[in-house]
Amino acid sequence: MNKPVLILGGGPAGLTAAHALASIGQKSVLVEKEDRLGGAPILSGYARLVPSREWAKDAIGGMVERVAGNGLVDVRTSMTVKEFSGEPGNFTAKLADDSTIEAGAAVLCTGFTHFDSVSKPEWGFGTYPDVVTTTQVEQMFSSGQGVRCPSDGRKPKRVAILLCVGSRDRQIGREWCSKVCCTVSCNIAMEIREELPDCHVYIYYMDIRTFGLYEDLYYWKSQEEFKVKYIKARIAEVTSDGEKLIVKGEDTLVKRPITIPFDLVVHAIGMDPNVDNMLLSSIFGVELQKHGHIARASTYSAMGATSRPGVFVAGAATGPETIDDSIAQGQGAAMAALAGAPAVKAAAE
Amino acid sequence: MPIHEKSLIRPENLLTHENLEIEGIDVSGHWSTFIESRVVTDYNEALEDEIAALPGGENIHRCWQCGSCTNACTVNALNPDFNPRFWIYLVRMGMEQELLRDKDIIWQCVSCHKCTYVCPRDVVPEGVMKATAHWLELKGHRPKSPSMLFDEVFSEQVFATGKIEEGRTLRGFFQRTGQSLTQDWLVEMIKRLLRHLPVKLMIILGLANVIRPRTRGWAGARAAIEEYVEEQETRQRQALGLDRPPATGAERPLAEAAE
Repeated sequence: MNKPVLILGGGPAGLTAAHALASIGQKSVLVEKEDRLGGAPILSGYARLVPSREWAKDAIGGMVERVAGNGLVDVRTSMTVKEFSGEPGNFTAKLADDSTIEAGAAVLCTGFTHFDSVSKPEWGFGTYPDVVTTTQVEQMFSSGQGVRCPSDGRKPKRVAILLCVGSRDRQIGREWCSKVCCTVSCNIAMEIREELPDCHVYIYYMDIRTFGLYEDLYYWKSQEEFKVKYIKARIAEVTSDGEKLIVKGEDTLVKRPITIPFDLVVHAIGMDPNVDNMLLSSIFGVELQKHGHIARASTYSAMGATSRPGVFVAGAATGPETIDDSIAQGQGAAMAALAGAPAVKAAAE
Repeated sequence: MPIHEKSLIRPENLLTHENLEIEGIDVSGHWSTFIESRVVTDYNEALEDEIAALPGGENIHRCWQCGSCTNACTVNALNPDFNPRFWIYLVRMGMEQELLRDKDIIWQCVSCHKCTYVCPRDVVPEGVMKATAHWLELKGHRPKSPSMLFDEVFSEQVFATGKIEEGRTLRGFFQRTGQSLTQDWLVEMIKRLLRHLPVKLMIILGLANVIRPRTRGWAGARAAIEEYVEEQETRQRQALGLDRPPATGAERPLAEAAE
């Protein structure tokens, strides 16, 4: 393909697609709306990643470097696409600065948006400063500050992690499981116990979904080596007695209501469809599936295909996704873009 | 929100006023019935640490409440209130008062170890039951169980001499459990034994009771064992926050045990 592949989004999937194409001599244009590459792990300041325990800035930073320094990848940060037209093998994209790009194919690696906990006011986020999200705890670790209560900077003695905040909840239209939050929460719980051995960590769950090999590496390990406690309860509300946060719910195993004091409450927030998906859908002419993620045309026969020939999708743009699977999909979509675009064009002629 | 499931309402949680009038309306008797809240208002993290500090309780923190132990339990088949899974949870969350409601059946574990074999997480529930029963005794919630008293008589003798003399063990056990030495079955056994005139056995038994032979070079072993036992008991008492050693045997009446 002489024309470059247009890649939208510079997170794990987009970086991988650009690198994969460059490694076989294919040019690409990587358009990123933020002012730097790296996607959610970098922009949201994640700490150590599951499952390698590498720091996000090292792991994803390395992926950024090999793309940013590559002559075959034309990186455009702080940039968006405002028009997109054409056929497979012959697309034209108009960027926000009115420049145009001729592209053979496009890969949408536009990722997700973190759930905004304000949408579940009963769990206290936005009302009490010591109710935070998993993203904020990641930032406490990645900044080197460690886990502290935002209200007064003290070290918490007891932490509650509430799972499924913004996931599996028909009341707020989130009927999906965000896939990674259980494992991330186990990981955070272990890191808290490691940093503050006197701090007790309780995880309130409906189900624990540390799928595959994360079962013993995260769920079991957090219990057996780090003595994290798991309580089967969906919390009803988080309030405050003026000193401590009060977590109310039902402990389903003893069939008793609970009102337990905590120093810090952490929301394990889910992965929403990217807030820009409606816009992307209309610009690129791709369909969204029922939850608002970019729809895949086929589960089995065509990797990363969307409803529009020549436009592909990879990573969390398709639904909640892990970083390693996003990377695999980025590579798959690059392959599909390279092979599929001319073939589709030939078939059309 | 309170949970009102009839089976969960306990008689002691029902409050009724015999004579009560509210704003001129007579609500005496069952008209004024209130159900006291069963809300759990705090966790007591110390309880799990205490049980984990006793032999057998070390792996309690591994439990994920699957219920395999209770399903496999020999005693549960006879008494549905015997629920190891439930007690492990109460200990882990520090629900001490709830645990004490079952203090009179927890010691009934028969150590068949079916739970040990079915447990997917190697919690060793049998060990936890043993540790919990031991905890109840150390904390004075239960008098020493007969098996604990037997263990004490047995081990005191071994520590002293390095040997076991059955007659002495039996007498000590009966004495500490307040049992008569002239029990029918024992009298009958001795009678039948005497019919055979076991002269040699009687001489050995007699001598053993008078001389109390010791294993050769036992003093060194005894010192090492006593040091170890003292060390373990001190560690356990410290873990349980007990500053004085537990009273021994049957000298400790039930009333005092409950203080």
